[in-house]
Amino acid sequence: MIEIPPGAYARPGTSLDFKTGTWRVERPVHDRRAAPCHAACPAGEDAQAYLAKVENGDLRGAWETIVAANPMPAITGRVCHHPCESACNRGHFDETITIHGVERFLGDEALREHWAYPVAAPGPDAPRMAVVGSGPAGLAAAYHLLRGGCRVTLIEAMPVAGGTMRTAIPHYRLPPSILDQELDRILALPGIDFRPSTRLGRDVSLEELQSENDGLFLGPGRRKGREWSADFAVPGDLHTGLQLLETWVAEGTIPQQPKSVAIVGGGNTAVDLARVLRRQGVEQVHLISHQRIPAPGVPQDDAMRATYREVSQAIEEGVTIHEHRGVRRLILRGERVVGMELVHMKKLADADGRLHRVAFEGTEAVLHVEHVIPAIGQDVDALGFEALVERGQMRVEPWWGELQKHPGIFSGGDARGDHGTVSEAVGDGRRAALGILRRLAGKALEPGAPPEPIPYGELNIHYFESAPAAHEPVLPAAERHGNEEIEGGLDGRAVRHEAHRCLSCGDCLACDNCWTLCPDQSVLKTREVAIDGSNYVFDYDYCKGCGICAHECPTGYIRMIPD
Amino acid sequence: MALALEGSQALARTIALCRPQVVAAYPITPQTHIVEGIAKLVADGKLDCEMVSVESEHSAASVALGAAVAGSRAYTASASQGILLMAEVLFDIAGLRVPLVMTCANRALSGPLNIWNDQQDSMAVRDAGWIQLYCATNQEAIDTTVQAFRIAERCELPVMVCVDGFTLTHTLEPLDLPSAEQVDGFLPAYRFHHGLDPADPRSLGTLVAPEHFSEVRHAHHQALMRAQTEIEQADHEWAAVVGRHCGGLLEVRGDAGARLGILTLGSVLGTLEDAMDNDPSLPRARFIKLRSYRPFPAQALRKACEGLDTLIVLERALSPGAGGIVGPEVQTALIEMEAPPRVHNFAAGLGGRDLTLDLYKSLVDAVLGEKRRHGFAIIDVDTTLLPEADR
Amino acid sequence: MNEQPLQSLDALRARQPRFRGLESGHRACQGCGEALAARLVTEAAGPDVVIANATGCLEVFTTPWPQSAWRLPWIHSVFGNVAAVAAGMEAALKQQGRATQVLAFAGDGGTFDIGFQALSGMMERGHDVLFICFDNEAYMNTGVQRSGSTPHAAMTTTSPPGAVRMGKRHMKKDILSIIAAHHIPYAATASVAYPSDLRNKVRRAMDTEGASFLQIHSPCPLGWGHDGSLTIEVARLAVQTGLFPIIEMERGELIGTLPIRDPKPVSDYLKLQNRFRHLFADAYRARKELEHLQAIANRNIERFELRGVGVEKYDTEGADTVHRGGDRWA
Repeated sequence: MIEIPPGAYARPGTSLDFKTGTWRVERPVHDRRAAPCHAACPAGEDAQAYLAKVENGDLRGAWETIVAANPMPAITGRVCHHPCESACNRGHFDETITIHGVERFLGDEALREHWAYPVAAPGPDAPRMAVVGSGPAGLAAAYHLLRGGCRVTLIEAMPVAGGTMRTAIPHYRLPPSILDQELDRILALPGIDFRPSTRLGRDVSLEELQSENDGLFLGPGRRKGREWSADFAVPGDLHTGLQLLETWVAEGTIPQQPKSVAIVGGGNTAVDLARVLRRQGVEQVHLISHQRIPAPGVPQDDAMRATYREVSQAIEEGVTIHEHRGVRRLILRGERVVGMELVHMKKLADADGRLHRVAFEGTEAVLHVEHVIPAIGQDVDALGFEALVERGQMRVEPWWGELQKHPGIFSGGDARGDHGTVSEAVGDGRRAALGILRRLAGKALEPGAPPEPIPYGELNIHYFESAPAAHEPVLPAAERHGNEEIEGGLDGRAVRHEAHRCLSCGDCLACDNCWTLCPDQSVLKTREVAIDGSNYVFDYDYCKGCGICAHECPTGYIRMIPD
Repeated sequence: MALALEGSQALARTIALCRPQVVAAYPITPQTHIVEGIAKLVADGKLDCEMVSVESEHSAASVALGAAVAGSRAYTASASQGILLMAEVLFDIAGLRVPLVMTCANRALSGPLNIWNDQQDSMAVRDAGWIQLYCATNQEAIDTTVQAFRIAERCELPVMVCVDGFTLTHTLEPLDLPSAEQVDGFLPAYRFHHGLDPADPRSLGTLVAPEHFSEVRHAHHQALMRAQTEIEQADHEWAAVVGRHCGGLLEVRGDAGARLGILTLGSVLGTLEDAMDNDPSLPRARFIKLRSYRPFPAQALRKACEGLDTLIVLERALSPGAGGIVGPEVQTALIEMEAPPRVHNFAAGLGGRDLTLDLYKSLVDAVLGEKRRHGFAIIDVDTTLLPEADR
Repeated sequence: MNEQPLQSLDALRARQPRFRGLESGHRACQGCGEALAARLVTEAAGPDVVIANATGCLEVFTTPWPQSAWRLPWIHSVFGNVAAVAAGMEAALKQQGRATQVLAFAGDGGTFDIGFQALSGMMERGHDVLFICFDNEAYMNTGVQRSGSTPHAAMTTTSPPGAVRMGKRHMKKDILSIIAAHHIPYAATASVAYPSDLRNKVRRAMDTEGASFLQIHSPCPLGWGHDGSLTIEVARLAVQTGLFPIIEMERGELIGTLPIRDPKPVSDYLKLQNRFRHLFADAYRARKELEHLQAIANRNIERFELRGVGVEKYDTEGADTVHRGGDRWA
């Protein structure tokens, strides 16, 4: 009942009776968007999420965020070509965040502190799964199946786990002790039954695996180096690049010490081998590629498949790279190679857009080398599952990794043909595990895709200050001999510095901008974290939809939608 | 205590006895001596108050308003142009129902310039919603001022105490100042019930929509009407303390049985009384001293006019283009009488023109003699001083 | 994504870790810079204050009887007297021996024009009052008429551009020189784009004994002609161009500034606002006025020594840098 007091004074705070929320035509909402690092990570890690935890001082939580996707950060932090960093929005502002350095630090810290994976043992009625191959794809698949509550039998042809990580990655890139610690920890998880020296096709059959298990993942890798099927004579003692690399990794040395070697190929195997040979003391190491050294501005289909970091370090270490060259023929003296005829070569697109290698007549030149090594790719060694392999590869549905012609069987990693890195293999194993679990639950496998990242333009950059990136220390080329790691790690301070530089793309930074700048007190701060992961709640009773909060949100986390 | 004091000085000391915590001061003749007197008392440590020497009357009223709503008894004084300049604030103060007391040292309004006494200034703001009390003598000014604080604070209405400029303010005479104990016993500590206090925050001066505004005005009007009771009571109770009264709402003097009445506001009464006393040959008159002009005491007035054939309303201001101000209001009030007297309305003494003893006879002649006049007139005007066209 | 509050909104509102002097539900326009400024001021001022508020947008949109958005003791008197009402409150509280402080709120009209005399008198007498001018550069409440604070060349209803005019003819009144000439212990300018700086200055002014003055640049989306969501950006550009200098004075001497790290051209600021649209016509007189405004900005930068030296922590780019967890410096 209204009563007008003398002079018509009003009581405090009574404006709350008037809900100005009825005025608005738009309302702000919290919209967690994927940061570009997350969208770009082949393993599916959300770097923004774990950088936030690092900034909050929660290192363990940050590691747990990583291992929710990728169980081997100490490895990937060293070997991954970090597409997250290429995509990082901070790169448009000043310098990209050294994300891989943070990941490596967390991986190493977890090993130091013996943090346990947040994975429970499977129950007594757990479904049984089989995984073939303990490379990164198989390990990731086994890990995620375990996380999904399954019991996993992991078979591996070699006596030890690791796949290509163990056999083909030089120790100066990935120290064996790190590899061992990381893998042992995964294999020790209750529910994983690791069977080394067990080869599919020889010790167990595909049918046995299928009948004894509710799901099957094959991560056989591509262990068979391709022979040169060239129209020229090749020496009888030819080793493929992969064989030599594996020998060097295993034994620390390779047979023969030629003075000059030419490696044909542009992938990681070729480049790694080139660097290994330089370490061995080979004076001249040539790398022949019909593509170009990867660099900003070089189109992806014209760039060597090896990662930029590896290629540039190879050049530092004295490897000579011949770009846009092909091999016309080898020059032999009996069975001995004395040289090769190189020709200018490029991949050109024809009228239908398909690329063909074109050699340009009249550009031939002879390169004198004592040894030639083809590193032109590998094929799947399909013993025991020949029916599943098509032209040397496993043909899979691109997202879940289910074999296109054999539903119920999943594959990933090198065997797919289009994925050649550890992190891609981890992603394949993870998604395949999720696919297997979905199939088990009777759900359909909808085609998936990485999330759409929030573009740089949607951030409000004004609120950030420029700061240089912390970089991992790199051994100067002159000091790179033996097996010490060429790249060191970041220290704790540098890690926090990098985490602090993260722009938190698409995620709440709890910076208080919205809370501070709302003229209508319509952003409320919560002491606990709100259900949507932010620290704020919109008071829609009073929010007029002016949009200041959305415009001034530094991370693009607030979006205006029609109301 | 009886002292020979100039009216202004007496007022200054009276104000000091009422213990205002804030006094806003802006000089304008003929009020200046009041604030000067207060300033001296403050300087000599005889009055503990914040004296704010403002930069205009508009600010003087505003300072007083601010002080009052912030919980302090406050006071200011002004006259003439100053009253007009602070007019919007005066309306605001009353509309917000803020208790304040101010002295209006009645003076003519410009243009052209005139610094001497008439009542045009207080009449110009009669609709501001303040209580207006007119003082016939300096003693009344003293007593009314003390009463004003109590009336204001009890009714939550501001009170303007009107004191004829120069005529009263600058006259030296023996006056009885009350004692501190008397005043302290009569005036409790200042309390304003809807003021500003962080412990109980309120918003004063809100925006009131058409749906509620009439009610606010109605309440204000009713408050003023009810204040009549408080005005009478205050006078009555103060009289018990000091042994003299001011007449409450109005006072009937002179020949109570006369059938001719003369109604006045302010100090002109003394001149008329002296004139009638000095010359027994003149017709007797019943004097009605109107003290409370706002609220207008219609009922008391009707009672005081019973038995009158003729009533002269003598005012010290006019409404150009209409005539008198008080006259028509009196006339309207008396209509309800069974046999209302015939009302004659005159203005005199505008701009401080001397009101002599002849005035009484002029008035009587004007209504009873052959030179009977009709309608409103400035009775002491000398039209021969004017061009033919302006007469 | 839907919002699911963890507890009732009422409980959350009551638990906000800042003082809610200005409540929600007021009738300010969407994106009102003045409402934001008033909210920030009362937050910093705390509950032990009394406020006098001149006529204008702020008092109208906060107190439609029977409602009031204020949680503080507050009075609106008339247009031109707020400094005097505040002076009266200060005198009373001083006499009562209370520590409660007095704030006077006015728009630019109530400061530069109609309220100027009372402001000058209040400062001359040294009342312990913090006078805050919410400067939206026109008489907004009455529908955008020009005031002494309206910038040169701005469009208002009483200074419209047309065939023979290019908006307001006269310069923005140099209020800071006038305030400086009163030699009060503390005077400052602030902007809603730098809320920490604003709150800090409120506290500093309240800690200062004697008269203090704070001019807060408060964009008016309706009157300036921009979207409500751009209020902060527009305010920030005003500072970054030098058109609204952020400074502090003590007794008339310049003692502090918010340095501009890298002055932006005035066109960056002007082009966002409809009230300056006529300056972007393809005409000599438009170009001339643009240059004039740039010259004014340059003069401000010169006069108040606003040019930063490299990267400073509290300059126009650094002062509002965000941190995870919101640790603002004021």
